[in-house]
Amino acid sequence: MSRSRPSGYSAESSRILRDDPGMRAAVTAATRTFDDHRRDAWTRIDADAWRSWAEGVKSHLLTHLDTYLEQAEERLVANGAHVHWAETTDEALAALGAVVDRHGVASAVKGKSMLSEELGVNDFLEARGVHVRETDLGEYIIQLLGEPPSHIVGPAIHRSVEDCRVLFHERLGTAMDASPDALAAAAREALREEFVTADLGMSGGNFLVAETGTLALIENEGNIRLSTSAPRVHVAFVGIEKLLPRLDDLSAFLQLTTRAATGQPIGNFVSLIQGPRRADEVDGPEEVHVVLVDNGRTRLLADDEAWEALRCVRCGACLNICPVYRQTGGHAYGWAYSGPIGSILAPGFLGLEESLPLPYASTLCGACADVCPVRIPIPDLLLKWRRDAVDEKLTPAAERLGMAAYATAATRPGLFAVGGAAMRGTPLALGGRALPVLKDWVGERGPLVPSPKSFRRLWKEGIE
Amino acid sequence: MNARDGILGRVREAVARRERREHPGSFQGWRPEPLPEDALVGFTQLFEAAGGEVLRFESEAAGREWLHGFAAAFAGVAVGETVPAALRPDRPALPPETAPLGVSMARGAVAETGSLVLDARDGRRTQLLPPTHVVFVRRDEVVATLQEALAILRDDLPSAVGLHSGPSKSADIGQILVKGVHGPGRVVAAVVGTVGTGP
Repeated sequence: MSRSRPSGYSAESSRILRDDPGMRAAVTAATRTFDDHRRDAWTRIDADAWRSWAEGVKSHLLTHLDTYLEQAEERLVANGAHVHWAETTDEALAALGAVVDRHGVASAVKGKSMLSEELGVNDFLEARGVHVRETDLGEYIIQLLGEPPSHIVGPAIHRSVEDCRVLFHERLGTAMDASPDALAAAAREALREEFVTADLGMSGGNFLVAETGTLALIENEGNIRLSTSAPRVHVAFVGIEKLLPRLDDLSAFLQLTTRAATGQPIGNFVSLIQGPRRADEVDGPEEVHVVLVDNGRTRLLADDEAWEALRCVRCGACLNICPVYRQTGGHAYGWAYSGPIGSILAPGFLGLEESLPLPYASTLCGACADVCPVRIPIPDLLLKWRRDAVDEKLTPAAERLGMAAYATAATRPGLFAVGGAAMRGTPLALGGRALPVLKDWVGERGPLVPSPKSFRRLWKEGIE
Repeated sequence: MNARDGILGRVREAVARRERREHPGSFQGWRPEPLPEDALVGFTQLFEAAGGEVLRFESEAAGREWLHGFAAAFAGVAVGETVPAALRPDRPALPPETAPLGVSMARGAVAETGSLVLDARDGRRTQLLPPTHVVFVRRDEVVATLQEALAILRDDLPSAVGLHSGPSKSADIGQILVKGVHGPGRVVAAVVGTVGTGP
């Protein structure tokens, strides 16, 4: 599946805005709808109290994570599930590969999972000759299109009904004027066959309760329930930060996550999975494998500030409200997690250098922090990564020189006045294209047009 | 060093740097307005708002009579393992893969989320594959909060529990809501019995 990298953010977002204006319209409309629903859903609960409580539980979990990981493993094994530990993408995929080989898996179905995107599960399986099918309707659409998801919750929000009509006409033979109901019915029929014939079902995990070894999955379509019920083997990929201490904690997290994501009181379908089918059950997988994935999470956990990002429940509320995300959707960010949360997770998961310039893809307006159900201080962490980038000399040399020059001038009033007057002269009259630092700036933005009068002059003259 | 030791080792190192946070205690469900006093009223409001249907029957006999009429329109039915004999429809049994109607017995229902609590021991495919799903739930087993429901399940968890809170739906095609994408597009919660007297 083609995907750019975070380093391509500026060029890719410019390209989307220039060449694909429909994407901006579709993403903005969809995220506004999600956010309106969230807002409404939060008036029905005491959202501040719920969020503070949830922040407390996740912070407790993360500061006792070793204990809870061991407890979760013990419970899962007692329930008859297999537990695998993976430090890296390769180790996670190797665990999957071993299951595939042992069971002679020819076809697999998958419920929506961002971690499986992070790991590149589909490419891995296809390279081994395994037919793999995304079963969430949105994921199915983008799999057919050969695109990555553009939103944590709504992977195909950047695509219109018309896009889907054309796609389904070509791939499933539906009419060019088919209704959304008819399109969904065609997908249902095509996928139903895959559910009942697949050897392997895959999922992520919204939560993993240490006390009971319960894997919790939230969805609206029923495809995750089917993917984890019909095939004879189930493999779940779970980030180590997704644990919850007790079953009693789960009820609030299921509700808060859905209220933050789509405004629903809870997802239409929630699966609470303890392990494989038991002797007194008529169906369900014979084997359940839980792959506990690190892949950079312990690196974030070790950071004295950024560890707070690991509280994330992947609701997408910060994407929905972000004025920057709304312009482009998720593809521009160049990896699995987009929007504000993606920009603060990336330096932990991928390394800071590999993540630039994502921490800069923000106006620091703070709206994301206001909606986060687990109170992650996202703007503070964006700034933290920017600071680290400067400290580690990862920002462009011209920018460093420019900022140093600015610091010199800004702390010397006389110099500032002279410099300001000069800046309003020739170079900026060219729209900022002549100065090295500003050239980079305006390359992906509109031209800089300086005010004819300095602020200090306006102040002296009396601002109306 | 294996992956498990590597991960746990790094977690321990990181955790040692942090101030340990206490668990904030049990969730209290803080709301500006309390849930309806009668859990069935709350359940019905949310389940219907999500597109589900709720029917109430004073007795099993009344529930069975309704089901016989309802099921007559279907060629056959897949019936869950724990559905009592008295609530089984008199229609040809079909496997869930081909049955147009599935009938399940819930372990309970939740007012706060409008959810039916379904146990794997009743049969997962019957809960998911037929396009129409009838779920019986006992009036006494409709509880106020999800926390209460999980507390009841806690000591008797099957391999999987499904919380079903309305029909299958998706807005993935151009943000337009469609029903019955993978799971049942029509779901009827049939509440049987009266409070305190059992079914």
